[in-house]
Amino acid sequence: MSKGTRRTRIGQLLVAALLAVAIAPAASVSAADESAAPESAAAEGPCLIIGALHGGSVSDAGYNQAMHDSVMAIKENIPCVEIIEAENVPEEAGATSTMENMIAQGAKMIIATAFNHQYPALELSKKYPDVIFEHAGGWEMGPNFANFYGNPPDAWYMMGVAAGESTDSNKLGFVAAFPLGWTLTFVNAFELGAQSVNPDAETIVAYTFGWGDAAKEADATNSLINQGADVITMHVDSPATVLSTAESRGVDSIGFQSLAAQQFAPEHWITGTGFTLGDTLTWLASTVIDSTWEPIFLRCGMEEGCMTMAPYGPTVTQETKDAVEQARADIAAGTKVVFAGPIVDQDGTVRVAEGEVLSPDVMGSVDWLVQGVVGSPK
Amino acid sequence: MSDLALLGILSTALFSGTSLLYAALGELVGQRAGIVNLGLEGVLLVSAATGFSVTALSGNPYLGILAAAIAGALMNTVHGYLVISRKANQLASGLALMFFGFGLSAWIGADYVGARIVGLPRLDLPGLAGLPEVYASLVRFDILIWLVVPVAILVWWLLYRTRWGLGVRAVGESPDTVYASGRSAQSIRYQALWLGGLLAGVGGAHLAIAYAMNWSENMTAGRGFIAIALVIFAKWDPLRAIAGALLFSAAVAFQLLLQSSGFQVSPFLLSTMPYLLTLLVLAIWGGRRRAAAPASLGRVYQGTE
Amino acid sequence: MSPPEQRGAMTSVRPSVAPVLLRYGATALVAFALFGLILAISGKDPIASYRDILASTLGSTYGLSEVIVTMTPLLLTALAVAIPSRVGLINVGGEGQLIMGACLSTWAALTFAGLPAWLLLPIMALLGMIGGAAWAWIPGQLRARGLVNETISTLLLNPVAALIASFLIFGYWHSPMDTNKTAVFSESARLPRLLDTRIDLGLIMGLALLALFWYIMRSTRWGLEMRALGGNPVAARLNGLPARRYTIVALCLGGAVAGLAGMAMVSGYYGALLANFSRGVGFLGFLVCWLAGGSALGIVVTSFVVSIILAGGNLLQLTRDVPYSTINILLAITLFAVLARPDFTRLRSAR
Repeated sequence: MSKGTRRTRIGQLLVAALLAVAIAPAASVSAADESAAPESAAAEGPCLIIGALHGGSVSDAGYNQAMHDSVMAIKENIPCVEIIEAENVPEEAGATSTMENMIAQGAKMIIATAFNHQYPALELSKKYPDVIFEHAGGWEMGPNFANFYGNPPDAWYMMGVAAGESTDSNKLGFVAAFPLGWTLTFVNAFELGAQSVNPDAETIVAYTFGWGDAAKEADATNSLINQGADVITMHVDSPATVLSTAESRGVDSIGFQSLAAQQFAPEHWITGTGFTLGDTLTWLASTVIDSTWEPIFLRCGMEEGCMTMAPYGPTVTQETKDAVEQARADIAAGTKVVFAGPIVDQDGTVRVAEGEVLSPDVMGSVDWLVQGVVGSPK
Repeated sequence: MSDLALLGILSTALFSGTSLLYAALGELVGQRAGIVNLGLEGVLLVSAATGFSVTALSGNPYLGILAAAIAGALMNTVHGYLVISRKANQLASGLALMFFGFGLSAWIGADYVGARIVGLPRLDLPGLAGLPEVYASLVRFDILIWLVVPVAILVWWLLYRTRWGLGVRAVGESPDTVYASGRSAQSIRYQALWLGGLLAGVGGAHLAIAYAMNWSENMTAGRGFIAIALVIFAKWDPLRAIAGALLFSAAVAFQLLLQSSGFQVSPFLLSTMPYLLTLLVLAIWGGRRRAAAPASLGRVYQGTE
Repeated sequence: MSPPEQRGAMTSVRPSVAPVLLRYGATALVAFALFGLILAISGKDPIASYRDILASTLGSTYGLSEVIVTMTPLLLTALAVAIPSRVGLINVGGEGQLIMGACLSTWAALTFAGLPAWLLLPIMALLGMIGGAAWAWIPGQLRARGLVNETISTLLLNPVAALIASFLIFGYWHSPMDTNKTAVFSESARLPRLLDTRIDLGLIMGLALLALFWYIMRSTRWGLEMRALGGNPVAARLNGLPARRYTIVALCLGGAVAGLAGMAMVSGYYGALLANFSRGVGFLGFLVCWLAGGSALGIVVTSFVVSIILAGGNLLQLTRDVPYSTINILLAITLFAVLARPDFTRLRSAR
């Protein structure tokens, strides 16, 4: 054959060989993994492999970071546990394949922290009955599927008290991602808390329609400030942009999701709340290890340590602190229930009658805002 | 509507529109040279991530802006190499660049999500001391905002009043003529892309370092495509782009205000405005606008380039 | 008799497949090496990473099924670009067309939830195609009247479609329990899945339509006319071919196919209409079609390879601690590598 043809042939053979070398290990690896697993479990494997998935980045100084810290606490408390973590899994579709991969890697407990993960996790729980699934903030239950959450409404009420005391313009700003049931509940609790110390306080809500659209968050914060709000708070994944923007306009702010948020608003920070679910998750993991796990609709609040108030900022007055402490004491004692009736919505309809209380499983699907809130529940 | 709210719209329009204008100017220069970069979104993301990380690492926002600009220029150069030297399809190369930008920016910014940076300092104007903080902070712009309009004018001047600009426009109209006149169409295009990349990079920097002061994956949220629409809307004229950028951004600010006014206009439908407006303007004044487009862009759209 | 090369453009000598595939393979290897370098620089083990990608995709039935799930919409969005390209039109509007198709199917799913699947699914499929075709009709009209180039108009309409979808999701179809999606579709509105995997009927639709496309282009009069228009529009028009009609029809057909992809995604894959569910699938389809030279078989092979890359990234983030989005770098470098060698990447028929 000619030199050119021979070179082409050799080239083709080389490439084919390289491709084969590249692909062959694939088949052998999976087989190897399968045979290796039982050995390691008998020998020195971890006592439990936990898969945790987050909707965003675990260093967002917000919700995902708080959840990440809580998950990592499990490992601190129970060193033989191994944790596989996945970040930035926002959508259902990615969640399913991520969880499948985790289970293939040996995970026997899945902690799904994003709101959207509930249904994929529920479906997979039916496919893998020997894996325990815990979801944050949902409401579904199953034989191997349960959920857990803090008790944000109480915390929001207290933050509302702080805001109501601190405001001069009587306008509070709330930057929200979506008009989601939980978000509206938080806004309502916030406003109710503010109203309890300042009946003229109103909360203006601005939606960004994204969990992490930083530019829109900055736009929304500015818009609220330009409408006269002098205390800003938020329900988005990461509070960083909202806090920084408020700080740059010299406006007070209150943080949510994670205690790491305070660094973004050193001067005008009032207070904030963060999820501190480390002990709760540790307990849940220990029940899985002991095989004593049962599906529980787990909710816990500040008293149990699931949620923590952040330290106060430098400009907070003693009056404000006292008011907040009073509210906390009342809630702990049971004399104050945040969503006890009568509660009236923006149109004047009575949503919670006198003597009744809004129950927790409805809080995730609220579609109204209390009187005193400016903005649409849609 | 209170005067604070009205002034607020203008202020937000400038804050938010600055990065849009820089990005549009960057795309505009490239398109004037006859090169379409559909990957502008990716360029913005990479420059935002680079700028943010460098700022977080060094504590110096100016260094971050510089890094972002260079990152933008490098991204554009990748596109340029494929399209100019390897004669690749511009649309495909641009889209590939966009995906490249998604991945590269995520990789660069991975360790810096949620980092707290020293944002670009905002400058106090003299004579504002008496005003309440809320008002004063409306006009406390950073240096990039102050510079954006002068830069747009500079780009206009470069394109219309210098020999270099003449060369760029000539290449955009007819690369063969330029070649015949002895100048290198290739190197002019590379230069235009480099400058365009610097400008787009500054746009990305402003978003992450000065305005949002944060980095998260895909934070540009389609801003690159709005910028491309803006270039067409502005008839490839830098001065018109200023007005367009302000218009598009003011609409967003306006929509946020509407949310609390009880006026139920969907923020989504309002956000379609830049694109529909551009399309409308193209359809109605199609003839004249097409004449305003650099002629060799037509070859891109016909698939011969 | 003139030698074959000098006869009309209709007869073309097809290159044999093996060397072409191997040349692609070589280019891909260059790309993988570059990506491996990036991984190595950031302290990750490149060999282990590639092993993970391959193991999680080709090394298990589940992995393979995930690859096929990823591939299904790509088949259709690539075809949506291929059809107009045969008459020389460029359709970058796949994103928008598939979203509009999805929206219209969603309307049917939500409004007619009570209907049985054998009635509801074809209705949804039909509406999906209508939605996509309608969205492509606008650029078609604008182009046919010489007003706006279809590249620009299809591009601009993409974000508009996404915004309209969001408007519907947060407006008429809003339910406070679901953050950014509509209520989950009823069982009868879900495309049936195959063999206990997540692969849905969309795969069959995609393959069937590609086969149909291949047949029409090569063996029917329409195919011949389309190729004529694409090859030499002036001559074709002088010969009496209705260019305007073909422009609109070709774009609408492309849009319809993309709309069907949208229907398959919301009905088969997601089971609801999510905000921003498309995630670049339309643009990826453009790239796949372009890589494949607009050929049906090429589209199948190329989308398979691209899907391996995309699906493989999932395990990578768990085992190698790289963000999932990094897999886009590998995808892009592979595309760059192919783009840098224009000799075997020109769209086969448009010129």
